[in-house]
Amino acid sequence: MISRRDMLRTAGLTGLGLAVAACGRGFGGGGSEAASGKIELNMVWWGDAFRAQKTQAALDLFMKANPGITIKTEYQDSGPYKDKLATRFAAGNPPDLMMMRMDSLREYADRKSLLNLNDHPGIVDTANLSQAAVNLTKVGDAVYGIPSGLNAIGFIVNKTITDQYGVTIPDGATWTWQDLAKFAKEVTDKSGKKVYGTLVDPATLANLVVYVSQQGEDLFTADGKFGVSEATLTAWFQMFEDMRKEGGFPPAGFVETTGSSPDQSYIAKGSVASQIIPSNGLLGYNKVAGGNLVLLGIPGEATAKRRGTNIGTPALWSIAASSKHPKEALRLLNFLINDVEANKAMGTTRGVPASTVVADAIKPTMEKDDQVATDYLIGLQKQTLVAVPPYPKGASGIQDELTAVAPEVEHGRLTPAEAAKKVIEAATKALSQ
Amino acid sequence: MTLAPVEDLAVSGAPVSPRKAAKPPQDRSGYLFILPWFLGMAFTIIPFFASLYLAFTDYNLLNVPNWIGLENFAEMFSDDTWWQSVKVTFVYTFVSVPLSLAAALGVAMLLNRGVRGLPVYRAIFYLPSLLGGSVALVLLWRYIFGLNGIVNAFLGFFGVEKIGWTSDPDYALTTLIILHIWTFGSPMVIFLAGLKQIPAMYYEAAAIDGATKWQQFRKITLPLLSPIIFFNLIQSLISSFQTFTQGFIFSGGKGGPANSTMFYNLYLYKQGFEQFHMGYASAMAWMLLIIIAAFTGLNFLMAKRWVHYDN
Repeated sequence: MISRRDMLRTAGLTGLGLAVAACGRGFGGGGSEAASGKIELNMVWWGDAFRAQKTQAALDLFMKANPGITIKTEYQDSGPYKDKLATRFAAGNPPDLMMMRMDSLREYADRKSLLNLNDHPGIVDTANLSQAAVNLTKVGDAVYGIPSGLNAIGFIVNKTITDQYGVTIPDGATWTWQDLAKFAKEVTDKSGKKVYGTLVDPATLANLVVYVSQQGEDLFTADGKFGVSEATLTAWFQMFEDMRKEGGFPPAGFVETTGSSPDQSYIAKGSVASQIIPSNGLLGYNKVAGGNLVLLGIPGEATAKRRGTNIGTPALWSIAASSKHPKEALRLLNFLINDVEANKAMGTTRGVPASTVVADAIKPTMEKDDQVATDYLIGLQKQTLVAVPPYPKGASGIQDELTAVAPEVEHGRLTPAEAAKKVIEAATKALSQ
Repeated sequence: MTLAPVEDLAVSGAPVSPRKAAKPPQDRSGYLFILPWFLGMAFTIIPFFASLYLAFTDYNLLNVPNWIGLENFAEMFSDDTWWQSVKVTFVYTFVSVPLSLAAALGVAMLLNRGVRGLPVYRAIFYLPSLLGGSVALVLLWRYIFGLNGIVNAFLGFFGVEKIGWTSDPDYALTTLIILHIWTFGSPMVIFLAGLKQIPAMYYEAAAIDGATKWQQFRKITLPLLSPIIFFNLIQSLISSFQTFTQGFIFSGGKGGPANSTMFYNLYLYKQGFEQFHMGYASAMAWMLLIIIAAFTGLNFLMAKRWVHYDN
């Protein structure tokens, strides 16, 4: 029996065959076509050398199966990546396939710089993506990419520390923010302030989104406006100031700007007992924190008005609208998303594969922590979650304002209410531009 | 009387072969040698005019720019973060430049007193300014001034409570100013060269007349060194207004905590590359040019009062 997926795949391959043939005759060719008729795709992403090695292994499989196509990759840190990508688009020389930050997606999509996958049906197979994963790719009705790997935020607690001081870890499925405060205070008190109970960055938008959704509000309204009320923002800042006053949260000035990698985290240094991480980071954090971390849900999930945790992705794989070889780029994209061997080669360096079939298939090859994180994510995808639309243009201005006001609240220069007011003002302005 | 062209003078006396006169080979190789400069100029001049044009547009890197006149410039005056970045840059410049020049002059005078192994000391004091804008040094600085760093440990001996040198908005800029003052090496070397030019007999004569060391400094060193001081002042002001790396690395590219290290150029960069407001960023760049030009011009005007030239 032929399934819908097989049909799509066949259609896609046929389309591709035609495209390749056309290129071979010199139609629709581009500057990057070598004399031998070989097609060169440029693929860029951010990450480290480990991710590079894993990615290359997957690409080698693709090139072996597609002798006509070579892939030239470039990668760097996420900071410089953002600049370089913007510059390449500005110079009219965008890469064919790229990792696209979720907070930049609309900056590019709204300016028609990315390929709408709906315009090229049949090549990329999305049948095995959960609804939550598909939602991430959409801007209106258009689809501008496929999640490069799924992710959600989770709470990690260092069990070595809680055991040492005799503190019970609350039930991660049912605990509330009050439970977190109580737990955190207990850790700080029993350790004689050697270890602070918890550290949640109030300035990280991904953390705030969960809390906002739990209060029944949306970060962005359907028409792209800022949807958070002053009361909710005030409560958010107030919550951490209260914890700080009680002692569960570290004192002002404790958190210094360091890198965001696990080995630079305070939980790795053993100076805090719990914090929020992206779920695909569990393995990395556990390695540097002594191997005894427990992954919990975000507080308040069971008792709040509605769910706050959501499936996210750090990035989409997107294709430039002006790519000279869109068919081949789409085919590579399909390979990265749906090929089991490719994903075995890549591992979970970008999170859990978006395709549930692939995720299931590669799970036995993962390390234990990655399996835990994958189960957490697969579990989430089976639940009813609240979808967050892609960040509208100017959303990075909101993150900037949060980053600016949070330390002011911390050092008592702004009250939580004043900070909330400032964030709303800045957000309204940033989104109206 | 008109002067003979230079090449005529050069070959006078020797018979002039027609080929050589038409195009001496050393001329051509000369052009070859300055070719990189010409290429470099192209890479400067084209972006220069491009950014001037973009300053009047809403360019967002992805779409064709639209002409919006002076809107970008008007926008700056109602942009709180822009004002904050101006404030940070001004405070940084006007505190650290005089202090670092004073430190440079002080050390240069010490080294000028005929110490043994002068080149070694000179190199040691110069080293920080070679490294000043480097990533590694700023990171080291962060470590030294960290909550559990050396500085807090030292202050702890005197019962001072831990200060969040890098995480408290009240102290972060101070920490960067200290870093800047410490990198006084390049003005120091220039001062040293200037001090060596002052004839020793002036001091001898003054000493015979009973002038104190302070009077010698006021009446001889400062006036004779004033052109050098002026040069260093202009150089330091301009480079200080353009500070970027320190702020970028120190705050992880965020200008924090609470925008307290949001240097002008850091904000410009964030606007251009993070918010896709390249037109606005270009306008900011031109505004900075105007600010720097204004201060430099002001300095030249005031220089008439205190800079003494030999003739």
